[in-house]
Amino acid sequence: MAAATVLGRLSLIPNLSSKPKLKSNRRTTSTSVSVRAQASFSDPFVLQLAESLEDSLSASPSSSLPLQRIRDSSAETLLSTPWPSRKDEPFRFTDTSLIRSSQIEPISTQQRNSEILDNLTETQFTNAVIIDGFVSNLTIGPSDLPDGVYFGKYSGLPDELTNRISEFIGNFDSGDLFWSINGMGAPDLMVIYVPEGCKVENPIYLRYFSGETGDRESKRLPVSNPRVFVLVEEGGEIGIVEEFVGKDEEGFYWTNPVLEVVVQKNAKLKHSYLQKESMASAHIKWTFVRQEAESEYELVEVSTGGKLGRHNVHVQQLGPDTLTELTTFHMCVNEQTLDLHSKIILDHPRGASRQLHKCIVAHSSGQAVFDGNVRVNRFAQQTNAGQLTRSLLLKPRATVNIKPNLQIIADDVKCSHGAAISDLEEDQLFYFQARGIDLETARRALISSFGSEVIEKFPNREIRDQARNHVKGLL
Amino acid sequence: MAGVNLQLRHAYSIAQFVPTVSSPPPLPTQRVRLGTSPSRVLLCNLRANSAAAPILRTTRRSVIVSASSVSSAVDSDSLVEDRDDVGRIPLLEVRDLRAVIAESRQEILKGVNLVVYEGEVHAVMGKNGSGKSTFSKVLVGHPDYEVTGGSIVFKGQNLLDMEPEDRSLAGLFMSFQSPVEIPGVSNMDFLNMAFNARKRKLGQPELDPIQFYSHLVSKLEVVNMKTDFLNRNVNEGFSGGERKRNEILQLAVLGAELAILDEIDSGLDVDALQDVAKAVNGLLTPKNSVLMITHYQRLLDYIKPTLIHIMENGRIIKTGDNSLAKLLEKEGYKAISG
Repeated sequence: MAAATVLGRLSLIPNLSSKPKLKSNRRTTSTSVSVRAQASFSDPFVLQLAESLEDSLSASPSSSLPLQRIRDSSAETLLSTPWPSRKDEPFRFTDTSLIRSSQIEPISTQQRNSEILDNLTETQFTNAVIIDGFVSNLTIGPSDLPDGVYFGKYSGLPDELTNRISEFIGNFDSGDLFWSINGMGAPDLMVIYVPEGCKVENPIYLRYFSGETGDRESKRLPVSNPRVFVLVEEGGEIGIVEEFVGKDEEGFYWTNPVLEVVVQKNAKLKHSYLQKESMASAHIKWTFVRQEAESEYELVEVSTGGKLGRHNVHVQQLGPDTLTELTTFHMCVNEQTLDLHSKIILDHPRGASRQLHKCIVAHSSGQAVFDGNVRVNRFAQQTNAGQLTRSLLLKPRATVNIKPNLQIIADDVKCSHGAAISDLEEDQLFYFQARGIDLETARRALISSFGSEVIEKFPNREIRDQARNHVKGLL
Repeated sequence: MAGVNLQLRHAYSIAQFVPTVSSPPPLPTQRVRLGTSPSRVLLCNLRANSAAAPILRTTRRSVIVSASSVSSAVDSDSLVEDRDDVGRIPLLEVRDLRAVIAESRQEILKGVNLVVYEGEVHAVMGKNGSGKSTFSKVLVGHPDYEVTGGSIVFKGQNLLDMEPEDRSLAGLFMSFQSPVEIPGVSNMDFLNMAFNARKRKLGQPELDPIQFYSHLVSKLEVVNMKTDFLNRNVNEGFSGGERKRNEILQLAVLGAELAILDEIDSGLDVDALQDVAKAVNGLLTPKNSVLMITHYQRLLDYIKPTLIHIMENGRIIKTGDNSLAKLLEKEGYKAISG
């Protein structure tokens, strides 16, 4: 209360001073407030992290207004948010000690990673290479994008779009600590804008690389905070592909990306997400989607990387006759935890959601986590929501924690969920053997086919083939 | 084709000279297979059972061979011995076969005797629960059953020492009574995998999908199936009739010296039955044999049996020619067992 009052007073002070002085003054006041009023709620580890994030960006050129606003609100949130522990429900089965016990080091400068750029496999699509959160390379052919479509940094936006886009950026109250860390640490803001009625034929490819790697011995852990915003205007259509890769297989780093999406009325977004981080890394991603009436959002995900990999998906349906489709596949082949936390909020009539989540745990110390919340609120009558999760546990002591979580307030609703956990089916294995196929080949084929149900949903063939080959390579 | 046959004959000849009685072949290395758990619907945490020990194949077979006299089997044995088989080599020899359900230890097969020669068609008939399907599953090595006595020799080899996939590669094919669905694996890929397993066994080069496709198309015509079946996942969403056709397609593609057809006629309409029967007849040669399991005379009208066996309570109690089926149809099983 006292803090709020002080901050409220601050906001009323007229902006008469010069900019540098005001900035300095604000920081001092903020620190004082934190020490005096918030001492009992703040986490020293989080405060120190917030400070290092702030320091890492102070050397960079002046930030865009939305990024600055996000930073300010994130800083405020971090003052009172402790690091999550196992006692917090959202992290009950997700151990973040890999990050917590490390010496976190925000990556402050854009690396000249010519090695990464040289080794890039060529792609036909319009694409951006984002290294350690910084936009390093942008490839747009003259005829690749229709008129009015924007793809690039926020700072390059035409003037007529800046206000439109600023309206939406950062307006999300349900993010967690990691959302705020990105808000505070994001060095760049990438924007994809699709104007009204525009149907973009080929997908836009976002290729995220982690070029900086730390040291497991000294526990130096570089963190990057990539941030992307997508706005598809009324009747527009586009596909985006996100691919996350580490520079090498044993890279020790933390990728903390955020993607914000607004799909306007009668618009469509197809979102492909391929997570192939190194097996020693941490990957904690937020995807926040707002859907207006009659729009469609379709996510297809394959995640295999990270000693700790987590995807937070939050979808809000903001109008009637809206369709949300999430099809995801997590595969643990090492000692790793892969976690999907999804929340779909239906607030309007005749909303539909379809969710399929598949996990394979092929290591005794592997763990898959799924928390799937579907909330059907009072006005969401005639909702049709389905959720199905299937898990394959292929080793003794392999672990999966599954929490289907349907909260239904409306009374004219069709909702279903199912959860099945098993090893490979004996009957199917025998069927292969009866045709002369040995057990090992049969197991490989069945495991491959388990994931292919998701992989086949990638709308683009190049991505489908890439995902399929990646999964086969891990088996 | 001729080359393939020549090689097969050659391999067969070699096998014939191994004296299986005086020096039994060494047991193949047993493969350890992880225990499996049934699918379960759970709303909470599950940790895979660390106490589950791997199931060894050896535990499913018993070395004990019990000698027992079964008076009612004498008829069957006598009839077998009376056959004009001088100079012919048996393809399959089942002697006093006993088997239990692996989990419950309930004995299902109680001394089955059967001999099949090359080029013969055998039909096994009997009431529900008499052990017909169990017999076919034991022949191909289904893990639900454990052999507790007797012997099975196929082409001179002890079948009980062989893994299921090796029995298949040796030329034994079973058409399943209720084929399972395999979501995510296309018919094309499945058949290519199985076909190439045979190629590897014969030491021949494998076919890539394009080469294999042209081989496959001609077989589709044999069973009157459309090419779009190849892109569908194995038996997924297939009707009962489509599953049966798919089994025969696999037989046509892979070939077999002994095809065990477990109730291929159930679930088929008259037209489909004729298609399937025509396909089976088309695969018959003086070298190939068929063992059909059926309830109905109708199938025998289309695929003429050499011999018919009546199974009851885990044993073959009577063997005869086609007139036995007519007697069965006319007077029922009571007339046979009485």
